[in-house]
Amino acid sequence: MVKFTKEMKEALRVPGKGGSLIYLCTSSRDGNPNIAAMRFVATHMDDKILIADMFLLKTKANIKENPDVAVTICHPLDEGRWWVFKGKAVDMEYGFPRDFDWYGANATDILNEWGNWNKAEPPDEVPPDIVFPKAVQRGVVVVHVEEAYSIEPGHVGEKVLEG
Amino acid sequence: MTVNLTDRMKAWIEAMGCHLCVATPEGVPFVVLGRYAEVTGNGEVAFALAQDEAKVIAPALSKNPRVAFGVSRQGGIRAAYQFKGTGELLRSGSVFDTIAAQAKEEKGIDAESVLLVRLTELYCTKPGYEAGQRLDGMSPEELDAWERQRWKDVPRKRD
Repeated sequence: MVKFTKEMKEALRVPGKGGSLIYLCTSSRDGNPNIAAMRFVATHMDDKILIADMFLLKTKANIKENPDVAVTICHPLDEGRWWVFKGKAVDMEYGFPRDFDWYGANATDILNEWGNWNKAEPPDEVPPDIVFPKAVQRGVVVVHVEEAYSIEPGHVGEKVLEG
Repeated sequence: MTVNLTDRMKAWIEAMGCHLCVATPEGVPFVVLGRYAEVTGNGEVAFALAQDEAKVIAPALSKNPRVAFGVSRQGGIRAAYQFKGTGELLRSGSVFDTIAAQAKEEKGIDAESVLLVRLTELYCTKPGYEAGQRLDGMSPEELDAWERQRWKDVPRKRD
C-alpha cells in the first residue's frame, strides 16, 4: 500500500487552493489511450485520488471497461510535481449502492463529502472564456493508487511510490 | 485524412510541450513529457525524448502505436484540445537529426529518440457542452474560424 507524501497531498487539490490542474489518462480495453485535463481533484485516505465526474465522456467509457488509469500533474510542473500515479479507478456515480467499497473507500462517504464539488470548491480561478456555465456532477472518480513514477527530467521512470 | 492544426494550436504545442500518453494492448496507460515539440508537417508532431523518457513508453509503443496527447502546463486549460494519432520512435534519419539538434540547442535535451506522431483525431476538451466535440472533420478555414471565436491568445515560447 502506498502513502502519499505531504507535497503530493498539497499538489492533488484544486488549483484555487494551491493544488494543480491534472491530466487523467485512461485507455479502452483494447489499448486506445485518452488524456483529459481535470480541475476538481482531491486526495482521500493516503492512497486515493478523487476527481469529479462532470464532463467525462470517453474517460468515463474507458473506466467502465478498464480500470487501469494514470494521473499526472499538468500545471504547475515547476514546483517539483513531477509525478505519474498509476492505479485502478471506478466512477462512483449517484445510484451506486451506498455500501459500495473501492479498496477501502466507501461510496456514501465519498458522495456525501464530494458529491457537490462545484459548490464546495467553486472554480473561481478558471478564466471566464474557459469556465463552464453550469456544472452538473454525476459522480466521483476514485483512483486507488498502487505506484507512482517520476517524470522529472533526468529521473524519468524512477519509482516515487511503491505498493 | 489529414488532421489540420491552427497556428494557435501549433504555437501552444511548441511553446509548452505536451503530456504524451500511450497504452499497452491490454490498456495499461503510461505518460511522459514531450518537453520539446515541433509541428513538422500538417498533421505531424515530433517530440524529442531523452533516453529515460523513451524507455518508459517504448515497450508499450512497440506493440501498440496509438498515442494521445494534451498540451502541458497552462496549455492544459488554455489550449483545450486532445490530439490522437499513431506514433513511431525514430532513432536515425533526417527528422531525427533535425529535431534532436533543435532540442539540444533550444532546451539542452540529449535526444535519444524522436517520437513522430501522425495525427488522426482532434477533440475539443473545453469543459461544458463542447467537451468531446470532434474537430478533425473541419476544413482549415472552418477550424481557424471556430477557434478564433473562442480564443486568440498565443503563449511565448519557454526557455
